[in-house]
Amino acid sequence: MDGDNLKKERIKKEIAEEHGEIPYEETTVRELITLMKDNTELITDLAYAAVAFDDKELAEEVRHLESEMDKMMYQIRLKCMLGARTLEHAEQLSGILQVASATEKISDAAEDMVRLLDMDIELRPILPHILKEADEKIYPIAIYPGSSMARRTIGELRIESHTGVRLIAIRRKNRWIFGPDSEDRLFENDIMIVRGVKEGYKELREAAHGDIPWKVVVG
Amino acid sequence: MKEAEKKLLEMKNTSELMVDLAYSALLYDNRDIAKELVDLEDLVDHLYESIQRLALQSCSESADYDHSLILMKIADSIERIADGALDIADVVLRDIDIHPVMKKGLKESDVSILRVVVEENSYLHGKTLGDANFASESGFWVIAIRRGRDWIYGPDEDTTIDGGDVLFARGPKDSKILPWVKARKRVDK
Repeated sequence: MDGDNLKKERIKKEIAEEHGEIPYEETTVRELITLMKDNTELITDLAYAAVAFDDKELAEEVRHLESEMDKMMYQIRLKCMLGARTLEHAEQLSGILQVASATEKISDAAEDMVRLLDMDIELRPILPHILKEADEKIYPIAIYPGSSMARRTIGELRIESHTGVRLIAIRRKNRWIFGPDSEDRLFENDIMIVRGVKEGYKELREAAHGDIPWKVVVG
Repeated sequence: MKEAEKKLLEMKNTSELMVDLAYSALLYDNRDIAKELVDLEDLVDHLYESIQRLALQSCSESADYDHSLILMKIADSIERIADGALDIADVVLRDIDIHPVMKKGLKESDVSILRVVVEENSYLHGKTLGDANFASESGFWVIAIRRGRDWIYGPDEDTTIDGGDVLFARGPKDSKILPWVKARKRVDK
């Protein structure tokens, strides 16, 4: 119930923000580009995961990210308009705006994909079986008590460099951590949502289950 | 319907590669990569059309409405993702200098993509990806290989590298590029 109330609060806040004035924020264009790029990746991964696991919470996060993208789009538009002084400069800035709009378009498409979960479709799971046979798959992996990965930060674990598998989100009891960064820590009983090829996945699962030790890079 | 699903899978793989490639085209201001995207977008459009056709066919044959609707909806989203990727590459194809701030912003990102052409006489010719062992040396994973006009998505350890192949690899920011430079040269080992 608590989760439901939180969700309602957030939706209320978002509606207020959407229809009210968005304040001008002191984020730089550079920061916005980084965020928007990383978000397009996260939002498409989450959208496929939401459809694959038939998970409304993941879908909710996709919607949240999409509304964040809308806000960033607005900020970047303001900043680019303030920055144009000459024709040459305006041309360069229009390139930035084009890229930003493209990331916004991609996140829009991802949001549309998760709408499938709300449609009156009886067929489950929604994601066609074949997409689960793809070379790159999305898997949930639990961290078992005693795994050498537990209580380590993502930065120490370097999962992607070691296995090519990327960590999309972490589920901790009733909470989600989406797009975890290098300071986030894994704990026993966390569930990692990862995507990657089978070979890398196997090694990661064995380490998460405590069957093999994980090479930890400290420092 | 199996055929439509197969095409959907190819669409998904292609669109994901396109997004990765689009950002690296922009980061390295690389027209070659950007041009790859134009062809890939064409491929996605064709796949989209045949999925729509197959889905409609299946409706008239077996009243499989839900399944068809799902396929078409997902295909539509994927098509727009591919479109977005092409929009990004389009900035590179137009003859405008890319704003330095954009490159800085992209460099800050957690992920980078490499495009490496394997020389005809490279020592890698005939080796498998497992033998080449890039991943453990560099942290970069090969996500796709272009061989002539064909694409291999998600190659595995047993995939053989040919001279002339174009390898696309992705890795986190802390990956090392050095082992990749070797792929371009003949190295006596």
